Amino acid sequence: MKHLILKNISKEYGGTTVVRDFNLEIEQGEFVSFLGPSGCGKTTTLRMVAGFEMPTTGTITMNGAEITNNPPNQRNVGMIFQAYALFPNMTVAQNIGFGLKIRKETESAIKERVDEMLALISLQKHANKYPYQLSGGQQQRVALARALANRPQVLLLDEPLSALDAKIRVSLRSEIRAIQKKMGITAIFVTHDQEEALSISDRIVVMYEGRIEQVGTPFQVYNFPETNFVANFVGTLNSAEAEVVDSAQGLLNMDGIQFKTSQEEMKGRSTGDKIRMSIRPERLSFAAELKKDNVLDCVIENITFLGSVVRIQVKIGNARFNMDTFNNPFLELPKIGDKSQVTCSQEAVLVYSGEATA
Amino acid sequence: MKRGGVIWSWFWMILGILYFFLPLLATFIFSLKAVKDVYSFKAYVNVFNDPAFQLRFPASILWSVLTIIAAILIFVPTAYWVRLKVPKARPVVELITLLPFVVPAIVYVFGLVRTYSQPPLLIVNSPALLVAGYTILSMPYMYRAIDTGLRAIDVQTLTEAAQSLGAGWGTILFRVIFPNVRVSILSGAFLSFAIVMGEYTLAQYLAKPAFAPYIALLIQNKAYEPAAATIISFTLIWACMGIIQVIGGQEQSGQIAGGH
Repeated sequence: MKHLILKNISKEYGGTTVVRDFNLEIEQGEFVSFLGPSGCGKTTTLRMVAGFEMPTTGTITMNGAEITNNPPNQRNVGMIFQAYALFPNMTVAQNIGFGLKIRKETESAIKERVDEMLALISLQKHANKYPYQLSGGQQQRVALARALANRPQVLLLDEPLSALDAKIRVSLRSEIRAIQKKMGITAIFVTHDQEEALSISDRIVVMYEGRIEQVGTPFQVYNFPETNFVANFVGTLNSAEAEVVDSAQGLLNMDGIQFKTSQEEMKGRSTGDKIRMSIRPERLSFAAELKKDNVLDCVIENITFLGSVVRIQVKIGNARFNMDTFNNPFLELPKIGDKSQVTCSQEAVLVYSGEATA
Repeated sequence: MKRGGVIWSWFWMILGILYFFLPLLATFIFSLKAVKDVYSFKAYVNVFNDPAFQLRFPASILWSVLTIIAAILIFVPTAYWVRLKVPKARPVVELITLLPFVVPAIVYVFGLVRTYSQPPLLIVNSPALLVAGYTILSMPYMYRAIDTGLRAIDVQTLTEAAQSLGAGWGTILFRVIFPNVRVSILSGAFLSFAIVMGEYTLAQYLAKPAFAPYIALLIQNKAYEPAAATIISFTLIWACMGIIQVIGGQEQSGQIAGGH
C-alpha cells in the first residue's frame, strides 16, 4: 500500500486554477521533491497535504485513511518553513517539546524525546537558548527537530534552505537527507532549485503551470526529460530550431547543418516536422579526443571558467552552443576565435515539439 | 545639523516643556499650600482620608482592570483573526477602532443610556455597561498596540507551524500569539488604565463611582484638594508610562518576547 496518495487534485482561487489534475503516489520513507518555477503550484500542493489549503477537487490519502478534509492539527504531518517559524518566546528545548506538550505526554517523556532530537541535530549545548540567539542554519535544524519530535507520518519541507547562504544550504540539505533516511520518514521537499532537488531526492516531480510535467528519479529527469519544459528547466540546455529531414534515419537539419538523433527521439515524428533540438552542454566534447555520431565544425566564441568545469561557447552554423568540460590545469584550452570540431552521440540529441518554455 | 538649527531645536523643545510643565508645577505648588504660609502635603492627606476618595479611587482601578481584561479578550483574537484570515478588512477595522476619537463621549453615553435603559437589554444600572463602555473607549489604544505587536511577528507562519504540531486555536492564541505580543498588550493595557482612570463622562452619566467625577466634585467644594487629586492622577499615569518604557526597553534587549 502506498503511504501517501494524491488523486486528481486540483485547486482554484477565484476562477484561476493553480493546480490541475495532480496525481502522485509516494512510498513509505521516500524523499520526493516538487520542483518548478515560482507560481507552478508546488507550494500550494504541499499546503494541501499539510491541510492549510483544501483541494477544490480530488482526495488525499495517508496510510490508507482519507485526510482530504482533516484540519492541519489532525493530520500528524511535520512542516518546515522557509522562515524557520520557531516560536520566539520559547527556548530551543521548549520549541522542540511544543508538539509533545500538546499531546499531553509526560514531562519525562518530553525531556527524553527533546534530548534525543537535540542529539540528532547536534545542538545539545543550545537547548536553553532562544531562537534569536541562533544562526539561520541552527534555527532551521531546530525547526527540523521540532517537526520530527512528534513522530509525524510525513515531513513537509517548504523551501527550507532558501533563506540560508550557499555553504550552509549544501551542508544542511545533506543533513536533512541523512536524518530523513535514518528515521525512515516520508518527505516532500518543495524547491525551485534544481541542483537541490537533484542532489537530495529519490524522485522529483517537475511542475509547470499547475501541472505535473514529469515524475522520475533525478537521473531520469535530468538525462531523459520528457518535455521541452523539463529539458530546459532542469540543468543547462542548448536548444535550437531544426527540421526532421529523415525520420527513419533520425536525421535533423539545423540551418543546413545535419545532426543525427536516436530512433527513440524520432517516435511519432515525420519527415518535414519542425522541432526543437536540444543537447546538454556536458554531452558535447572536442572531436579531436573521440569522434561520435555527430561531428560538427565550430568556432570558439567564449570561454568561462567555473571552477571544476570550464564552459566553452561554440558557434555551430548560426547557433551558439555551450560545451562543458572538466577543468584540467594541464590541458591547454582553445583560444577565442579558433576553428575546431565538436562531437556528440546521437542519444545526446533530444527532440521536442514547440517553443522553449524556460 | 547647522549650529543655528540646533539652537532653534532646543528653543522649541524648551518652549514645549515649559508650556506643558508650568501649569503642572503651578498646580503642584498650589496643592502644597493648604496650610497658610507653609508648604505641606495636607491637601494630599485630606484626599487620601476622604471616604469618597477611598470608595471612588479603588472603584476606578477595578473598572480599569475589568476593562483591560475585556479588551484583551476581545481585541487580541480580533486583531489576530483579521491579520490571519481577513487582511483586506484591516483598513475598515482600523477605521472602526478610531471611532471613539470621532464620537464625543457625551453622545456615546447618551446612546448607551437610551439603548440599554429599556427592554430587552435593561442593563443601564449594571457595572457591566460601564466596563463595556470603557472597553470601547480603550479600543483605539488597545487594538492598535496589539496590531502593531502582531505586525512584528509572522502571524501566519507561526500559526501554521503550531497547527502542524497539533495545536488548536485556543493553544495557538494563548501559548503562541499572546506571549509574543505580551509587550504590546501591556502597552495597550497601561494606556487603557490611564484612560479609564481619567475618564469622566461615562462614569458621571452612568452614575457609577469613579475617580474623575470625584475630582470634578472636589473642584466644586474645595480649593487645594482638587489640585492634589490632579497631581495624584498625573503621577499614576506617568507611573504607567514609565512601566511601558521599562518593559519596552526589556523587549528591545530581547528578554521578554524572545526577540528576533
